[in-house]
Amino acid sequence: MKKIFAIAQKELSVYFRSPIAYVVLIVTIVIFNVFFFAIIDNNEEATLRDIFKVMEFLFVFIIPILTMKVFSEEKQMGTMEFLMTTPTQNNEIVLGKYLGVLLFFSFLIILTIPYYGIIEFFSRPDRMAILTGYIGIWLEGAFFISIGLMVSSWTKSQIVAAILSYLFLFLVYFSSLADKYTNGVVKAIVKYSNVMTHSENFIVGILSSSDLIYFFSGILFCLVMTRISIDTKIWDNV
Amino acid sequence: MISVKHISKQFGVCEALKNISFEIPSGEIVGFLGQNGAGKTTLMRILTAYLPPSSGEAFICGENILSHPVGIRRKIGYLPENPPLYSTMTVKNYLRFAARLKDVSVKYEKAQVDHVLSECHLLEVKDHLIATLSKGYKQRVGIAQAIIHEPEVIILDEPTNGLDPVQIQHVRQLIRRLESKRTVIISTHILSEIEQLAQRVLILKKGEIVADNAIEQIVVSDEKKQLFVTVKGKEEMIEQAVKEANDVKQINIKFLEDDLFEVHLENTNNVSHYNQMIQSFLKYQVKIVSMREKKNSLEEAFLKIHK
Repeated sequence: MKKIFAIAQKELSVYFRSPIAYVVLIVTIVIFNVFFFAIIDNNEEATLRDIFKVMEFLFVFIIPILTMKVFSEEKQMGTMEFLMTTPTQNNEIVLGKYLGVLLFFSFLIILTIPYYGIIEFFSRPDRMAILTGYIGIWLEGAFFISIGLMVSSWTKSQIVAAILSYLFLFLVYFSSLADKYTNGVVKAIVKYSNVMTHSENFIVGILSSSDLIYFFSGILFCLVMTRISIDTKIWDNV
Repeated sequence: MISVKHISKQFGVCEALKNISFEIPSGEIVGFLGQNGAGKTTLMRILTAYLPPSSGEAFICGENILSHPVGIRRKIGYLPENPPLYSTMTVKNYLRFAARLKDVSVKYEKAQVDHVLSECHLLEVKDHLIATLSKGYKQRVGIAQAIIHEPEVIILDEPTNGLDPVQIQHVRQLIRRLESKRTVIISTHILSEIEQLAQRVLILKKGEIVADNAIEQIVVSDEKKQLFVTVKGKEEMIEQAVKEANDVKQINIKFLEDDLFEVHLENTNNVSHYNQMIQSFLKYQVKIVSMREKKNSLEEAFLKIHK
């Protein structure tokens, strides 16, 4: 556990010592603010439903920027060899790095809490829906991060990691577009694997075990795949 | 302490190590010598349990590297060829991070970091960002992380590569201080370095061990001693004197100035032959100004092996 926190702390310090953290935080919050005011102004409703949708759409583009360097950079700098020749289990390396990115992402989410404060101040929003909405986008981000981490563990190149992460995130996010061209079992699979099918429920205030299982099993699968790629040092062979 | 039995390693069709076996007792300082691509780094990576061997087994302090990789890494301090440093961290933070990953207990963490900072002469740069350090300092930070958990075995892959002469001297002094307490393995292709640091050398060639000896043995194993004598006298007399001394073969006479000559002689290791030669010079009234013996260097032995 001590090592997981040490690695997570190191990941966070790497973010905050480079311009990435500040650029991502400032640009994202500025975009969120613009959309928040536009949506509130347009809908005149005391809900965060539409801003949550904008947030999850933007996460598809932001998260690969956060995750692309997590393993790729270590491999390129030779520090992966350092991590792997210390008495640290590969599980601890994966979890430490995951926790680091997740904490940074959580910080980004915390910066959006004033939106709730604003609508609470001016009217009476559905607090439950806002809470489940936050849980939903947080889980969705956590799932996206695990995909990015897995892809970053495959390659030494940050660019390749970013492009492949975009590919996978587009697949799980935009697969609903294939909905009308499929039927039967394929349609059901496409619908279940699409991330929006599950996040929408959270955003409208529904907390169901099926959606929780979707996110938790997705995260677990990606983390296990990351661990396997580190065990086999797949980047040395491709 | 370290026991390697029939280790082989293949990368696809390329055979990086071929049936390597050796033992290193505790407290010894051993050099791995070989050209680039001879398999030194691969062998070190296997010993640190970073790469699994394709066949064979290795034991460190009695533990098998395949079945106890984490336990092995606790006993080993490893400096890879390029020091594995995070450029955005300060030296002190990096060493604290290394201490945590290497199971240094929280209680001793600060003391241990301070200890390696002073042992590696890093105190004056402890709060500097690693990115701003010179190569010599970076190398010393790399060594500091390798010894922070007081390992029994230290493995250094080309520790002086790319440093300037002053930095090389600093790093060598540091390694010499380590040796008294621990088993040290150093790889290098700089031959004089091994001569200065190690007691024993393993020469690798294309994945095989072609020599495993104490340095003195490798250096004096064959060849006759070379002797350079500066003498004062007439050239004919000098030639006559050398001719008369049995078992001493004249290789060359070099004119230096006026009546000064340097005679290059090849001698066996027998001391009586020196006496014979000196007597002979005296007889022909040739004055000996100076004598210098040139030992075969490890470099010559190395080049001979790689012919």
